[in-house]
Amino acid sequence: MPLNINWQQILLHLLNLVILAVGLYLILYKPVKKFMQKREDAYKEREEKTQAALDDAQAKQEEYSLRLAKVDEESAQKREEAAKEMAAVREQKLAEAGKQAEDIVDAARERAKKEHDRIINGVSEDIKSIVEEMTEKVVMTSSVSEAYDRFLDEAEKGSRSAHTGGKKKVTSMSKSTGKGARKRQ
Amino acid sequence: MKTRTKKIICWSAVALVIIALIVGIVLTDGLYQSEEEISEVMKDAVLHEENTINLFGLEVNPGLISAYAVTLILLVFALAVRIFALPRFKTVPGKFQLTIESVVGWFDRLAKTNSPHRNSFLGAYIFAAGSYIFVGTLFELTGVAVQATSGNSVALPAPLSDINGAIAMGFLSYFVILSGGIVSNGLRGVGRTLKDFSLPISMSFRLFGALLSGLLVTELVYYYIALSFVLPVIVGVLFTILHALIQTYVLVMLTSLFYGEVSEPYEKKPKKAKRKTSAAEQNKPL
Repeated sequence: MPLNINWQQILLHLLNLVILAVGLYLILYKPVKKFMQKREDAYKEREEKTQAALDDAQAKQEEYSLRLAKVDEESAQKREEAAKEMAAVREQKLAEAGKQAEDIVDAARERAKKEHDRIINGVSEDIKSIVEEMTEKVVMTSSVSEAYDRFLDEAEKGSRSAHTGGKKKVTSMSKSTGKGARKRQ
Repeated sequence: MKTRTKKIICWSAVALVIIALIVGIVLTDGLYQSEEEISEVMKDAVLHEENTINLFGLEVNPGLISAYAVTLILLVFALAVRIFALPRFKTVPGKFQLTIESVVGWFDRLAKTNSPHRNSFLGAYIFAAGSYIFVGTLFELTGVAVQATSGNSVALPAPLSDINGAIAMGFLSYFVILSGGIVSNGLRGVGRTLKDFSLPISMSFRLFGALLSGLLVTELVYYYIALSFVLPVIVGVLFTILHALIQTYVLVMLTSLFYGEVSEPYEKKPKKAKRKTSAAEQNKPL
């Protein structure tokens, strides 16, 4: 054969190559690749776990955000309701207080009226009695005094002509009469 | 249950291939004894006709011995990693673990990138092929010497600088591509693969040419004493390392690209309805 081509040696080379390929595949290539694949799978698994944890955390964060928003909304609503309730209660209380005040004022007015009436009644009685008394007094005092004055005038006229001593007596009598009138008044 | 059946079928197929190869090697043993004369004519160091090595009674090129040595080295290394290093692998890798993982990951990613539909088998194959080409190319730097049948001492070359090794690698890659086509698309896949019938030849001879040229340049540099200072460090070591990287990349990239192409699921193209619609439009009353 040209170029020293030898079929037997080619076959020997082929046998050698097949043995080498099979041997290297079984002894080195496959185990190393398996090891690398295993490590890659482990990293992938770890990455997936991390990703799952991240997704979970993200979902939880969103859930909590939603919850917080809901709670805020609820609290705002409750605050509004409370404010409304408070306003209603205040209105009611104010109305009650107004009514109470009105009642008190009415009662006070009534009492005052009653007192007024009572006082007026009492005063009128007093005035009556005073007027009566005063009238009586006036009546009494005017007649007595007039009589007394007439008496005194008469007495004075009589004394001027007779004696001066009798004058002194009349004077003391008029004084005592005056004192007693004042006391009665 | 299905995966178990698949596994059994796969392993049976692998075992059958190995048995067939062994049978082929045994049967072809006596066919080339007469070829000695041609071999003697082509007394070229590159073709290794004079300096054949005795392998269990078979006279083989030194490249084959290199190939087995490289396989042995790789398998022993893999076994050592499997037994001693792999059980101690950590979630946060150390330097060695990182290197192993990077290599495996690089081939796996290459397979996935270029063949998105079916890539687990491709990844395993290009990992083995890439390791073999890289380590095999660097193997010539060791300069391990063996005794030839002629009595000469021969330094073991890179396995792929042997035309038989390069052809084996090229054809195996082609068969892998073909298998991807068959598994994914059946006969359509076979058709797609056979369409690129020049692929195994181009793959084989690209490898052979690249490795052989490196070998020839190195031989040339080592031949002259004047060039044996400093220059071999660049030519012998750096060029070999570059060679190893480039040839590994080229073969695995080509294999994965073609594999991805043939294993792509077939999609029915939508029928052309243009003519019908245009005809219908023409028939429409104005």
